[in-house]
Amino acid sequence: MLEVKGATKRFGGLLAVSGVSFSVKEGEVVGLIGPNGAGKTTLLNLICGIYKPDSGNIHFLDNEITGLASNRICRFGISRTYQIPQPFEAMTALAGVAVGVLHGKKRSHMSLADAALEASYYLEFVGLFAKRDTLARHLTLYELRMLELARALATTPRLLLLDEVMAGLNPGESSKALEMIWSAQEQFGITILWIEHIMKIIMNAAERIVVLQYGQKIAEGSPKEIAGNAKVIEAYLGGRHA
Amino acid sequence: MGSTWQSILVYTFIWGSIYLLISLGFSLVCGVLRIFHLGYGAIFVIAAYGTWVFMEDVGLGLIPSIALMFLVQIGFAVAIFYRGVFQRYLEEEETLLTMAVLIFIALTHLANYLYPVTAGVSIPTTLIDDILKIGTVKIAYQMVLAALVGIIVTLVFVAMFLKTRVGLIIRAMSQNIQAAMLMGANVRKMYYLAIVLSVIPPTICMLMIAPFWGIDPFMGSPLLMTAMLVAILGGLGNLKGSITASYLIGFIHASVSFLYMSRFMGLAALVVTLIVLMIKRGGLFAGETLW
Amino acid sequence: MVSLEFKRDRLQLRWGDQKYEWEIEPRYWRNPAIGVLLLAILPLFVYSYPNILTMFTTANLYAAIAIPLGLQMIGTARVNFGPQLYLGLGGYTSALLNLHLGWSPLATLGATILACGFLALLLSPTTFIAKGLYFSLITLILPLTFLDVTFIYGDIFRGEVGLTGMSALFNLGKVRWNYLGYFYVSLLLMLLYLWVSDKIGRSRFGVTLAAINENEDVARMMGVDINRYKIFYFVFPSILTGIVGWFIVHTFRTFAGVTYLPLDFMIKILIIVIVGGRAYVYGAIPGAYLISAVEDSLRALGPINYVVFPLVLIGLVLILPRGEGLWGLYHKRHHRDYFPLFHVRR
Repeated sequence: MLEVKGATKRFGGLLAVSGVSFSVKEGEVVGLIGPNGAGKTTLLNLICGIYKPDSGNIHFLDNEITGLASNRICRFGISRTYQIPQPFEAMTALAGVAVGVLHGKKRSHMSLADAALEASYYLEFVGLFAKRDTLARHLTLYELRMLELARALATTPRLLLLDEVMAGLNPGESSKALEMIWSAQEQFGITILWIEHIMKIIMNAAERIVVLQYGQKIAEGSPKEIAGNAKVIEAYLGGRHA
Repeated sequence: MGSTWQSILVYTFIWGSIYLLISLGFSLVCGVLRIFHLGYGAIFVIAAYGTWVFMEDVGLGLIPSIALMFLVQIGFAVAIFYRGVFQRYLEEEETLLTMAVLIFIALTHLANYLYPVTAGVSIPTTLIDDILKIGTVKIAYQMVLAALVGIIVTLVFVAMFLKTRVGLIIRAMSQNIQAAMLMGANVRKMYYLAIVLSVIPPTICMLMIAPFWGIDPFMGSPLLMTAMLVAILGGLGNLKGSITASYLIGFIHASVSFLYMSRFMGLAALVVTLIVLMIKRGGLFAGETLW
Repeated sequence: MVSLEFKRDRLQLRWGDQKYEWEIEPRYWRNPAIGVLLLAILPLFVYSYPNILTMFTTANLYAAIAIPLGLQMIGTARVNFGPQLYLGLGGYTSALLNLHLGWSPLATLGATILACGFLALLLSPTTFIAKGLYFSLITLILPLTFLDVTFIYGDIFRGEVGLTGMSALFNLGKVRWNYLGYFYVSLLLMLLYLWVSDKIGRSRFGVTLAAINENEDVARMMGVDINRYKIFYFVFPSILTGIVGWFIVHTFRTFAGVTYLPLDFMIKILIIVIVGGRAYVYGAIPGAYLISAVEDSLRALGPINYVVFPLVLIGLVLILPRGEGLWGLYHKRHHRDYFPLFHVRR
């Protein structure tokens, strides 16, 4: 479904992503891990159209999306959440999700009332219906993460890019969020590409894992293979433990 | 033909240096406080009319008037602009800018009310009352001296920013204010210092150019515009950019004046600025740093 | 068959075999109706003082400039420091075409719309190419440059004196009736702008507007075509402002760039947006009337009014509730209302 071939991105002297190639098949949950600074979020930004890759190309559902504007990529069916939640602070949760409903697909004649109704379905799905009239700046971290998820789902994606959803959540909230993501995947039939640092979660959740270090892909395979891979262990823990 | 190019060269140097003096303070406030000081024109008005008030109404000599005027200038900048406007409205930026402009307008009209153009305000700061001949170009000594003072002041500022500890702190603040705070910089004191430093070049500029530029209450506006154009073209808050842009705009003004018609110099400078912005977003030296 | 029925809580229109219903909920339109009524009967109190009527007309025009400005600032997520550029452009276009080519007011209206639309379209890339700060500075400088141009080509634009003697929009015979007519047409213009802004704000475009103002990049990721929206919200309000210029030319019948292009005028409009309350478009109306009244009453002081006026404005900004301004005194903010923060640096 998603094919990344040789994606490269430089920022001045820093080679953030270098020749990364992998693919994601429909219905999969693929994890993207790697030590800090490996270029995971940059790779995500390249897929989303926030940055244009210096070389390489990205295909989604046989369409070339390299370097397209983010809103066109969204219309193709990709949406994302953010590592640091970026809600629309002065707008209510409902309004924020309504923006996604109105613009995720081509919906020229949807009225605000209908959009609000559909948005409330998404809010109810993630469990935020009670907070639909709260301004986003008054929500807690867990609620913000859920709001981001609802917003991303509201654009009816085929591929959902998650960027460190579990960071900062306590274990109870983490398991609730994990369940939410599972039910989203079941109910909406979406494919997930998931950047995560919390190994326990990603190793259990993902079917396949891609490992990056210093902008390059160093390993790819099932969680079991990755856990035993010498290069991965060296990347995280240093040479002595490999 | 040769004499036209000599004129262009000389006037590029003269005007570029004077524009540099005009816009140095504006770039400083922009780069360090990250605020547009839209009340910057008030500094020129206070410089000219403050000195005049001390000389004529209070009856002091030129030097004491200038000294007192400097005090007033600094007091005004710190008390009214910094404490009164910038600190209060940091979050509501449009209110901040509007208040700054209102203060500037109030001051301008006050000067116009008390000392309209007919009152013949002038500041006798002519150092050498003679004409210098450079090649085929005849130019007043005062203009050359103004340009030289501009260059000296700029060099002093650049030296301060590059060589002293205080300059280093200010440069750090202009790049990343939070990191500078974490490194122990006394950001509040440095803000005050930046504000005080920013009024010095325009005041000196006003004193030097008063004899030939002519003082009128509404001169703050075109001078502010020049400062802004230099700042935009050079990259907001960047001294290297201000230096380059001042001479570039000086060159544009000089060439348009001597090769075409002087009426179009302002428009030409604006068009060039817009073109540069289209090609290189952020101006010539677009970097979030003072130097 | 067409029939209009007035049931207890709704209005029903039958057109052939189609039925249209409107719920009547007085609490939503009672206050606006009272407001509009008050504005409409205002002239009756000041019938014998034509200069006060002119003051009200001017107030209507100030509001008619401030309302599109508010819409523009939210929709482009940029603070525009030079809305009066299009006022000047519209005014000069209508005036010159009318004086030199003899075009009727209706024809000059078309020309104004085209001219302002063209210039705004030309400048619209600055809304998404230039960072917020640069955009604000450029918009600040442009009207002053336009003023310069009017002085450069002084023979066409007549510099400080301005153009005079354009044809009137209408002539009702007596001068008093003309003033009254001008007031009502300006009132209509302002209310039209208000209604358009209100409709946009309450529709699905309003939610999009808010999203663009809050976080452009996130909105873009959600599928909003930011560039297209910004171009629209830059060009449309500019055209509306140009139409106000056209109106000024054909009612006051004199137009000088020095009155409308410099900083003094821009500040009045910005103050109206700030003092009127930036979240609510309606706040522009009390803001405009207040500023117009202050301006007129200070005029009696003589030449010192130019000093006192900015000081009074400073006082207003200091006194009134932060950000909510005059409208905040009347309207209690619901927790759901969108309260935009304008950022100059983006």
